[in-house]
Amino acid sequence: EDLKFANYMPPMHPYVEGAFQPFADMVSEATGGDVTVTIYSGGELGPGPVEQYSRVVDGVAELAISLAGYTASQFPMTLVAELPGVTNEATGTVDLWENIDLLADEYRRVKLVSLWSNAGNALYMRDVAVDSPDDLAGLKIRVPSRNAGLVIEAWGATPVSMPVTEIYNAMQTGVIDGAYIDTTATRAFRLGEVANYLTTGMDTTHSPFFILMNRDAYANLSSEEQAAIDAAGKAASILANQTQLAVAAGGIESFAATEGKQVIELTEEQAEAFNVLSAEVTAAVIAETGGNAQAIVDALAK
Amino acid sequence: MTDTTVGLLGIAALFALMILRTPVAFAMLIVGFFGYGILEGMRSATALLLTESYSAVSNYSLIVVPMFILLGNISSVAGYSRGLYDAAFAWVGRFKGGLASASVIGCAAFSAVSGSSVATAVTLGKVALPEMKRVGYADSLATGSIAAGGTLGFLIPPSTGFVLYAILTEESIGRLFMAGILPGLLLMVLFMAVVWIIATLDETAGPCGEKVPFGERFKLLIAAAPLLFVIVASIGGIYLGVFSPVEASGIGAGLVLVLAVLQRKLTWASFKEAVMGTLQTSSMLYMIVIGANILNPFFSVTHIPQTLGDGLGNLNVGPYGTLAVILLAYVALGMFMDGLSMLVITIPIVFPVITGMGFDPIWFGVVAVIVIEMGMITPPVGLNVFVVRGVADGVPLTTVFKGVLPFLGAMLVALLLIIAFPQIALFIPNSMFG
Amino acid sequence: MFGYQTTAWAKLFARTNFLLAVIGGVCLIGLVVIIAVGVIMRYALGTPILGINEIVQLTALAVVMTSLPYATQHRVHVSVDVFDTFLGRLGRKIGDIFSRLISGYVLFLLARRAWLKCLDALEWGDATNMLNLPIWPLYAILSVGSALCVAVFAADIVLILTNKDSE
Ligand code: NA
Ligand code: NA
Repeated sequence: EDLKFANYMPPMHPYVEGAFQPFADMVSEATGGDVTVTIYSGGELGPGPVEQYSRVVDGVAELAISLAGYTASQFPMTLVAELPGVTNEATGTVDLWENIDLLADEYRRVKLVSLWSNAGNALYMRDVAVDSPDDLAGLKIRVPSRNAGLVIEAWGATPVSMPVTEIYNAMQTGVIDGAYIDTTATRAFRLGEVANYLTTGMDTTHSPFFILMNRDAYANLSSEEQAAIDAAGKAASILANQTQLAVAAGGIESFAATEGKQVIELTEEQAEAFNVLSAEVTAAVIAETGGNAQAIVDALAK
Repeated sequence: MTDTTVGLLGIAALFALMILRTPVAFAMLIVGFFGYGILEGMRSATALLLTESYSAVSNYSLIVVPMFILLGNISSVAGYSRGLYDAAFAWVGRFKGGLASASVIGCAAFSAVSGSSVATAVTLGKVALPEMKRVGYADSLATGSIAAGGTLGFLIPPSTGFVLYAILTEESIGRLFMAGILPGLLLMVLFMAVVWIIATLDETAGPCGEKVPFGERFKLLIAAAPLLFVIVASIGGIYLGVFSPVEASGIGAGLVLVLAVLQRKLTWASFKEAVMGTLQTSSMLYMIVIGANILNPFFSVTHIPQTLGDGLGNLNVGPYGTLAVILLAYVALGMFMDGLSMLVITIPIVFPVITGMGFDPIWFGVVAVIVIEMGMITPPVGLNVFVVRGVADGVPLTTVFKGVLPFLGAMLVALLLIIAFPQIALFIPNSMFG
Repeated sequence: MFGYQTTAWAKLFARTNFLLAVIGGVCLIGLVVIIAVGVIMRYALGTPILGINEIVQLTALAVVMTSLPYATQHRVHVSVDVFDTFLGRLGRKIGDIFSRLISGYVLFLLARRAWLKCLDALEWGDATNMLNLPIWPLYAILSVGSALCVAVFAADIVLILTNKDSE
């Protein structure tokens, strides 16, 4: 049996070599070739990240990679993990899997195969070097999710939403003053070309990624095959997280290395000014979400 | 049956359906749906049908389609398009094929705003085609120049094609944009040369007008001011960072609407005509996009593009031989597939081969974009041709395909020039970025 | 047009498609207004509406799906006409009927699947990201729009078979 893996990212994205292909190989090896996984990259099975969830729920593909934030209404608990100060960037993925039962209720419609915490979001700015929330007053910043929007608002800037591929043009012409996104964007979306300042070091949002599997497709496998998928999925989570962190670190490095560009690494004192404000957002969202939200925070933010 | 056989049968079915007068949008939809169903099961195929229909009609970037069509339709019923083309005719009408050349320049100017070939062809087509018809231009020349001119949308920055190529290959978007400028202008000039040749060979294709006195010309230019104002405001707004290119389409449509109401150029009947016409053309174009979105995944699961790409990587015919084979394969794939999907599937295989042979990656980006633009106007699946046919009243599809043929020749010439003189693509980016 | 004025039932049906398209027209003008308001709020007033692109996207969906039956009834879809003489009158008739049967079948599957998805989206509370707008009504519009297209194809076939279709 061959499983189609829908990947909206380009085929040369580091994730493919770093996590998706190893996942496919592990599945194939553990099942003695009875179950194989074919990766269709660059949106070959349909373009864009937004519809990935539908593709796997409805069964266009058996497996799909997406971000929980693209279908936020379905994953309020998973998205608690993205709030500033909740996830530890280094141990986040392992912490998530140790407490996966707290999230189980959200994965009844699809089978959760992999889940990993992303590198933290940073501020890519066109003209303004940001080292305090005051610098952000009134500036228009593109945000990837509702939670990130709340954080940006708390810091005094104005959140703007637009498709990720529009950021380059919008920042170049000045429709937006900056973008709040993880630092793989230096390369992936070429933001290193249009932004001049990059601020990191504050508590920040970490949008979790996942690989999902169609329920029926999973149910059709034998229990040994299911176990192979589960094991490969968990291993791929760790690999994907490592890949992501390495590329994100590279994104900061190459930004700093570009002539005329500046990376602003906040001091602890400077970061505190941001963290005080974002902590209020975290508290408010936890209260609003209810359910297991507080338990998830307690488990992750040790 | 192997995947490849199913793919080839799919292509045959596509031809058969089109011969039987099935609208091209539905022909693509049907072949994509049943093809995917045969290879992956009907349940997957129905899911594909739903997700891709939904994602096409809710696609943010496609909003430019209804907005620019509305802009064109309101301009038309309010007499603004006519004013603009009266002015253009007064200025360039005494040259052979002057209006078609002016439309090509219009396409190039619009390309500086729009990253999409389809949007460029739709907008210029809506404004220019009825006017060229009015002064007696041949349908083939009028539609051919717009369908071909629309392809400049990808070459002259901003360009969706270059953005995708940059993301696939990790090259600089800025460099690619700069590299597209001279080839874009070269192609524009070549298109104008084609127009001139056609109008010279056939005096009735692009008839000359009378020489208009200077004072009269300025009067007409002032009469064309409303539409010129909207165009300048939309382009200016993008460059000043007031709005994004997608928003510019809505703002442009809104401005034309407000102007027409203020100048009392709009009756209830003409407004209704413009809106209902917009709805018809938009849903027709969206249906084509849906069809293409369902056909492309089918070709992906047949692995034909992949197989072709793999084969290209293992040729032993020297750098220029390999380049020639790759470009020929792109032209062949481009007959059936959407150019952007084609890039996604083939670039990861072809790009290392090309750069390994010492070709410049930025230069290859320009070459690849020109070749996928050729695919936009080659039969049987030529998106720009469908779009122009859709906005041209009562012109047979074959006339448009015939009309673009000489322009396809111009693209080939441009391609050969850029291969012979890579500096055409590389001069600006190299002098800007070193 | 195309025989829709020749029969009472077809007239009524054309009227329905027209009325639905009027809703599409209102959405179209609404789209212009929403985009303008979004730009003014962001640029002139400095208070962008977070998630306004979601409203734009959903409105565009309504524009397209409400006008699709009307457009299909008016035969706006582009087709290849080069073989028309070769096919002959009967051949064209057969081609037109065959095309509509098979297109109609695929659109019927789409309409049915979209309806099931509508119920599914309602059950699971699918909503947009920023504004949390429910998505199920859009699947309903998608379903109704494609179902009416199937009806247009069926009506076309009846009109062609009864020789009331003015080709
Ligand atoms: Na362009
Ligand atoms: Na083509």
